[in-house]
Amino acid sequence: MTPCFTRGCGLLALAAWMSAAAAAPLVNATLEPARITMGQSAELTITSSGSSNAPLALPEVNGLDFRVVGQSHRVEIVGGATLVSTAIMVRVTPRAAGIYTIPGITPQSQPLVLRVDAEDAPDKPPGPGNVNSAATRAEGIRMTPDGSAYVRLVLPKREVFVGESIPVEIEVGMRNGFVSSLNGLPTLSGADFTLNNLSRQPERTPKLVDGREFTLLTWHSVLAPIKPGKFSLSVESPLTVRVQTRPARESRLEDALGDPFFQNYFGVTVSKEITVTSPATELTVLPLPAAGRPADFSGAVGSFQIADDLSSSTAAVGDPLTLRLHVTGTGNFDRVDSAMLDHLDAWKTYPPKSSFKASDPVGFRGEKIFEQPLIAAQSGPQTLPGLSFSYFDPATRRYEVARSAPLAVAITPSAADPSAGPPAAAGKTAGTAAAADGLRPDHALSGAAHRSLVPPYLQARYIAAPALFSLLIAGGWLGRRRSLMPRAPSRRTAKAAGRVLQRLEAAAQAANAAEFFSIARAAVLEVEGTEGASEDTREIFALADEAHYSGHPPTTTDYARWTEVVRRRILPEKGA
Amino acid sequence: MSGRTVAMMCLFLAAWSGAARAAEPGYSAAALYNLGNAYARAGKPGLAVLNYERAALLAPEDPDIAANLHYVQRSAHVAADLRAASNAWTRAMTRASPVAMSWLGLAGILLLGAAVATTRYPWTSRGAAAAGIALLGLMAGQCAVLWPALHSAVVVTAGAPVRVSPVPMGDPVFTLPEAEVVALAAEHDEFVLVRTAAGRTGWVSRSNVAPVIPRW
Repeated sequence: MTPCFTRGCGLLALAAWMSAAAAAPLVNATLEPARITMGQSAELTITSSGSSNAPLALPEVNGLDFRVVGQSHRVEIVGGATLVSTAIMVRVTPRAAGIYTIPGITPQSQPLVLRVDAEDAPDKPPGPGNVNSAATRAEGIRMTPDGSAYVRLVLPKREVFVGESIPVEIEVGMRNGFVSSLNGLPTLSGADFTLNNLSRQPERTPKLVDGREFTLLTWHSVLAPIKPGKFSLSVESPLTVRVQTRPARESRLEDALGDPFFQNYFGVTVSKEITVTSPATELTVLPLPAAGRPADFSGAVGSFQIADDLSSSTAAVGDPLTLRLHVTGTGNFDRVDSAMLDHLDAWKTYPPKSSFKASDPVGFRGEKIFEQPLIAAQSGPQTLPGLSFSYFDPATRRYEVARSAPLAVAITPSAADPSAGPPAAAGKTAGTAAAADGLRPDHALSGAAHRSLVPPYLQARYIAAPALFSLLIAGGWLGRRRSLMPRAPSRRTAKAAGRVLQRLEAAAQAANAAEFFSIARAAVLEVEGTEGASEDTREIFALADEAHYSGHPPTTTDYARWTEVVRRRILPEKGA
Repeated sequence: MSGRTVAMMCLFLAAWSGAARAAEPGYSAAALYNLGNAYARAGKPGLAVLNYERAALLAPEDPDIAANLHYVQRSAHVAADLRAASNAWTRAMTRASPVAMSWLGLAGILLLGAAVATTRYPWTSRGAAAAGIALLGLMAGQCAVLWPALHSAVVVTAGAPVRVSPVPMGDPVFTLPEAEVVALAAEHDEFVLVRTAAGRTGWVSRSNVAPVIPRW
């Protein structure tokens, strides 16, 4: 073989290799992540450059499922040459934990290794892609079969006491696009606990679970066990989810379409109402110990501190003061109670009132204030005894008694109470000391005391009797005066008298003396029949006889005078 | 005067006297005076003046009460009492205590009644009526002298703000010194309308003044 022949064969071989290399596509495969937990999936990305349209054969590994979930093409122009690359995304889902070796896509490719851990693997290293899912798995998430929602009850501890308030969180995770509505508040299963102060509006936060976007609704509440024992707790929440209507074998559409919006648009899902239940949580409820229970224990369980204050350090006798007891801390404030000062010498006590001001949404932490009105009945410096409050502390597992400090108060005599003694002279100032020097001395306490400062003659009780007596005197005087006065004629008498006077005037105008005196005599006699003869009556009779026997007719003036005499007689008030 | 009238008057006097004795003891002029002295020594001129004013209502003829009242007011640099304590009319009308003046007024009423009831002795009746009217006039005069004190109050806090309107947000127009005696003109909720001896008016909180006749 000549060297020339050998060189020629080498060139042909190189050309053939280069031709073969140019015709065969360049394939690269990556697996991300290389370590997952059961229930998770890894993504195998196969990238091929070149114009080959040969179908790609998925690898087959026992225990692993491969499914194409997407494909992308990329065209690059580098130095005038066109480079086409295709990427195929394959979801790799393990059926069991273990270490899997995925053979190379091409004979030239390196095999890939996938490590699948069990769900409770303690030595799983945190990675950027699985931190969230690992955490949520450890927190007791139980997803619905379709992976659309979950409910979780977060308890701070597993051993509590009867009556103790336990702040809890209820989380409802709803996968975006798969849960259409929440149909009610979460409820607690079982009647041995009460769920108090459940917030109406939950906190809303986004969360990534298993690489999927969820909306997390969180309710805060307080759990209160009613009786001792071991219980299994769970919460449930009604939801409306969208479920697929096509067979499972066609679920690739989900991956192919990639977005639930398109699935809804193409009508592959329908709404369905379901109830999501959280995994059961074991809780042990212990009874409160009977030993060492204080007599004033009201059922308060928690951690509390107390403080007291008085509305004023000085007051006068009869002035109201307010004694306040502040109970702060954490626990079941609905059972926090205090009788305050039930009885106190030289003080008048009233029943206390309480108010609670929570510092969290569920009322687990806050301040309860008891206010008791007090009225001092005796002047001088006094000390209010300290208050005490008994509660059971779950942390120390024993009853505690918190005590407040005594309060000093200076009581001065009341300004409105004359029976109170004078105030202490210790409080006098320099300015008033000079004034006090010029005061006239005190008086000896003697003489009658008075119920009111108002002068007696202005008091109703004193005015009433003289007024009544004055009325009696005035009434008697008026009665006596009335009895002395002539009575006014009645209407009937006045009318009759009027008629008589009219007849008299008619007779006078007719100058008929006989008729005139006849009428006058009859009228006067009618009056005299009851009251007797008077001077006027006798005069009329004399005039009548004179006019009858003298033969001289009376003049007009005589008629007028006699008419007036008769008028005065038959109407006495007119002439009175 | 008939025997029946005399018997009726005796019965009335007995009833009135019994009503007077039935009054529960409460205020004593001496106790109020001593209390005023104690407050004056304790450096509380407002409460001292208040108790002196109350004592003066029960015993206006007591010179010690008037002296200490004026002394404390002068020491506190406030205007004198609303009552013109120095004129002769006031002194004359306050010669007797209100209780004694009540009895005198009652006697005046009885004299008037006797004058009206009898007509047998005209001159005696007229004399009795005149005496009764005079006694009633004395009582009315003392009532007129004491009337301002019955409707007055004493400032018991230092620098009490006087506002133009009876609301806490009302603009203060001036302040009242402690121990000043003011006249009460009107009331509205937690405020009272006061008039000072200088003639200034305004609304002040009830907590800053104490009425001489306890009302709140």
